[in-house]
Amino acid sequence: MRRTGLSHILLILAAAIVCVPVIWIVAAGFRTQISLMMGQVWFSPVLGNFAEVLFSSTSDFLENYRNSLVVGVASTALCLVVATLAAWSLYRMRWPRWVVHGFLGWALVFHMIPPIALAGAWYTLARSVGLGNTLLSLVLAHAVLNLPMSIWLMGVFVRDVPLELEEAARLDGASTPVLLRRIVLPLVAPGLAAAAVLSFVFSWNEFAVALNLTVKATATVPVAIAKFAQDYEIRYTEMAASAALSILPALVLLLIAQRFIVRGLTQGAIK
Amino acid sequence: MVSRRLTRRRVLAGAGAAGLALGGLTRRVRAAGAAPITIVINQSPWFDSFRKTVDLYQKESGNKVNLDVNPFAGSLEKQRSSVRANEGQFDLLIMNSGWFAEMYFGGFVTPINEIDAGFKLDPDVYTLDGSVYFDAEKKVMAPSGKLMSVPIAPLIPLLYYRGDLYKGAGLKPADTFAALEDNAKKLNHPPGIYGIVQRGARGTSSVSYDFYPYLFGFGGDVFKDRKSGDYTIRLNDDAGHIALDYYLRLAKEAGHPKTASLDQAEVIQNMVTGKAAHVMMVVSAWSQMDDPNKSAVVDKVEFAPTPHAPGLPPGPGLGHWLAGVAHNVPDDRKHAAVDFLKWYQTKDAQLANAKNGGIPISAAVYKDPISQERRFRWMPAMVESLPHAVNIFQFPQSAEVIAILDVGLNRAVAGEITAVDALNGMAGQIHDVMAKYGYKTGSLPLK
Amino acid sequence: MSARLGDDRVWRWVTLSPALLAMLALSVLPLANLFATSFLHVTWAQGHAVRSLVGVANYAALPADPLFRAGLVNTVVFAVAAVGAEMVLGFFLAVLCGRVGRGRIAYRTIFILPILVPGIVIGAIWKLMYNYDFGLINQIVGLAGVMPQDWLGSPETALLSVIVVDIWHWTPFCFLLCLAGLESLPQDVYEAARIDGASFRQELRYVTLPLMWPTLTVTLAFRLMVAFKVFDEVYLLTGGGPGTSTEVLSFTIFRRFFIEDRAGYGAAMSVAVIFLVCGLLVVALANRRRVVTTV
Repeated sequence: MRRTGLSHILLILAAAIVCVPVIWIVAAGFRTQISLMMGQVWFSPVLGNFAEVLFSSTSDFLENYRNSLVVGVASTALCLVVATLAAWSLYRMRWPRWVVHGFLGWALVFHMIPPIALAGAWYTLARSVGLGNTLLSLVLAHAVLNLPMSIWLMGVFVRDVPLELEEAARLDGASTPVLLRRIVLPLVAPGLAAAAVLSFVFSWNEFAVALNLTVKATATVPVAIAKFAQDYEIRYTEMAASAALSILPALVLLLIAQRFIVRGLTQGAIK
Repeated sequence: MVSRRLTRRRVLAGAGAAGLALGGLTRRVRAAGAAPITIVINQSPWFDSFRKTVDLYQKESGNKVNLDVNPFAGSLEKQRSSVRANEGQFDLLIMNSGWFAEMYFGGFVTPINEIDAGFKLDPDVYTLDGSVYFDAEKKVMAPSGKLMSVPIAPLIPLLYYRGDLYKGAGLKPADTFAALEDNAKKLNHPPGIYGIVQRGARGTSSVSYDFYPYLFGFGGDVFKDRKSGDYTIRLNDDAGHIALDYYLRLAKEAGHPKTASLDQAEVIQNMVTGKAAHVMMVVSAWSQMDDPNKSAVVDKVEFAPTPHAPGLPPGPGLGHWLAGVAHNVPDDRKHAAVDFLKWYQTKDAQLANAKNGGIPISAAVYKDPISQERRFRWMPAMVESLPHAVNIFQFPQSAEVIAILDVGLNRAVAGEITAVDALNGMAGQIHDVMAKYGYKTGSLPLK
Repeated sequence: MSARLGDDRVWRWVTLSPALLAMLALSVLPLANLFATSFLHVTWAQGHAVRSLVGVANYAALPADPLFRAGLVNTVVFAVAAVGAEMVLGFFLAVLCGRVGRGRIAYRTIFILPILVPGIVIGAIWKLMYNYDFGLINQIVGLAGVMPQDWLGSPETALLSVIVVDIWHWTPFCFLLCLAGLESLPQDVYEAARIDGASFRQELRYVTLPLMWPTLTVTLAFRLMVAFKVFDEVYLLTGGGPGTSTEVLSFTIFRRFFIEDRAGYGAAMSVAVIFLVCGLLVVALANRRRVVTTV
């Protein structure tokens, strides 16, 4: 019992360290800039920052929010479909070993490249196929950025689908699409949930590529937040207010899907 | 190719105007009003005023203007991507002092008179050390060249000082460096109030930009003669040494103890929280000083030109914004962009710009009675300073030189190296860069 | 059976080709382009690119570049120190969390928070918390009677301060992975250990750690890869300064490539870094395979 007590104390301490900056961000959203800068501990909350961010005529935050949701959801969905098919293909379709290793190796290399080194090339590519400044170009970019991680994660789950089940389905005359839908899909669902949350959160927070591939009408939330860090004025409180708003959907998602993420990561990390 | 253009145009011109894409219709469109244009700009404290001024233009002219607003970080990359494509998406580029040379040298902006031979820059508009002109043959920015751009915001540093503290201590406004040093020392009561807060951090253009008014104000310079393209390094001559010694002494004896880590945002924070008696800061930060939500020193800050040595003019370095027309957009949009510039440079437009909170580009506004209003008390200092504004870098590789200056000056401020070593070291490295790119350059004998 | 094989041959292409095409178009092509550019010197005139072949000159210039050298050293220090601390802290917290029954989900939820905050906001907020004059951190250490420190401005503490931000940001990730690994360990091994009278420390040393090894190496590899890409935090917190004390590789690339617009040299630097990280990765993976086979 005493041991558990000590564990709780240490964990609560760690939780406090994690929480303080987040609480501070949210609190800063309710302060005036000068109150924040004077380092005042007590302040009377104001709603001006949230009003400015949400309703001012110069702010497109609601539109940015919608763009982020669209890009996050669409790129995640696209990425999962492509990644699951690829993972299944690589592990279950008797590709020569060099194909499998080559593909996964390349995915790993790709994962290590700072995205900023690719953003310029993607912009040119998007424009040359007529997708310049569209949400679709950003959806594609985020889907591809998430592909290595998703293929890796889904590979773990695909390998767990018992071969006998697939063979049995084949003997019953199931075609490949039926096999994928009826047998594979239900068994990899926990992995899909985990990969979905990770991809969505990544897309939701990604800045460098989003900046390069969007214009005012297609900008996402991080791009909007970056606009508060100006060349000679950082509008901390409005930035804090928009940051607080930006954490919301991912937080809701995590509270709902936490079980799936943890289960997904369990499988992913220990196999 | 045709269909691709169609799509792009449709996006820009709105679905109803899709027919525009078919060539040959441009003239008819112009007769019906200017084509819609897209201006690429970055978010900044003065953006809101610019937006209001653009709104006014749209109302008065009936022409459509789209503003693509970007974060400051990354706006250059977006402009580069657009001007380097086969067909640009941005018609009017709002270029910062840090990158307009790249746009001129690279041929990315079309000279305005090649679009509209009749365009004349209003004589009241500041040409900002000739930086609106470019002579492509001599590779210098001077009236001998072609008109490439129109100023959008003529930003330069001013000396901000606390009028209330001056009154309390019975001080006179500082016009020379000696007077500034005296006043700063008298008002220096750390840690409550610092005599002066300088921007000593290393950034993309931080401590170097803070140092220019000192360097030029003491009669120094980085190069021997920019106007004729002579890039012999004179950063480490006598004037350079005097300027850096002064800058470091001021930081040490009347400045913030952590000058080496202060960037623009921190300098402004020190001013608005009442911890700085003086700062040298770009003029457009004035609006924060009088905003009660952002400032504890409302109505207490006064403005003066940056100081100078006796007998010399002030030497504020330009951190300005210019508007140039992109080379790779259709003619109708180029014309429409010039139409906007024609309107923007008028006195009426600039009066509106000032009232919206912008920094006017026209001397006519600074002569107008509104310059006597309390809220525009920075205007007289601007009138005095603008004719002496220095266009520091006139070549596209300036970022490499600025990086050298920022690291060297920052190390000197931090006390890692002596002023002599810093100046000689920077001079040597800058010489190497200029030589690498084939500019006429040379060095002073080392001391 | 042969019909099935035929079916398979079609379907294995159908299933892999979307990923293959996406990777070809959006990663292989841009990287090939980057590689080609690394042998060029690119300037612009009359709105067109002027490319001249310079051979390996761009690569040859790398070792003498003071920023590249500083970036390399700082990145290694940053990655090793930050990831090391995150792994130890994350593992430790996961073990603690695994031992408490009630509240585990609450802790887990709280620890997920930092992962959700956009990097750009983390940079801005920590910059303010580190502020010399009125930052939260100086206020807190002031309570303990410590003189205010210029955390981001002194060469001695700047890199450390950036590392601390990274630890705050990523320890929860290591924690989650470790906790997940712990929860999936076979419980019968622990029961056996307890029957044998193993102390908590012995249990940790002889049961938990060996069983957790694969999870730990995967977590480590993943974190190291991301740590080598560190950019947002440094960009917003210090811009590489003071001096070169927080210059990191991706920031140097950004500076040379974008700010200074030296496409050829910047590309060479990117390619060199990619090869460097690949080398490290090969070493790490070879290690991992050996570990997995011995466990």
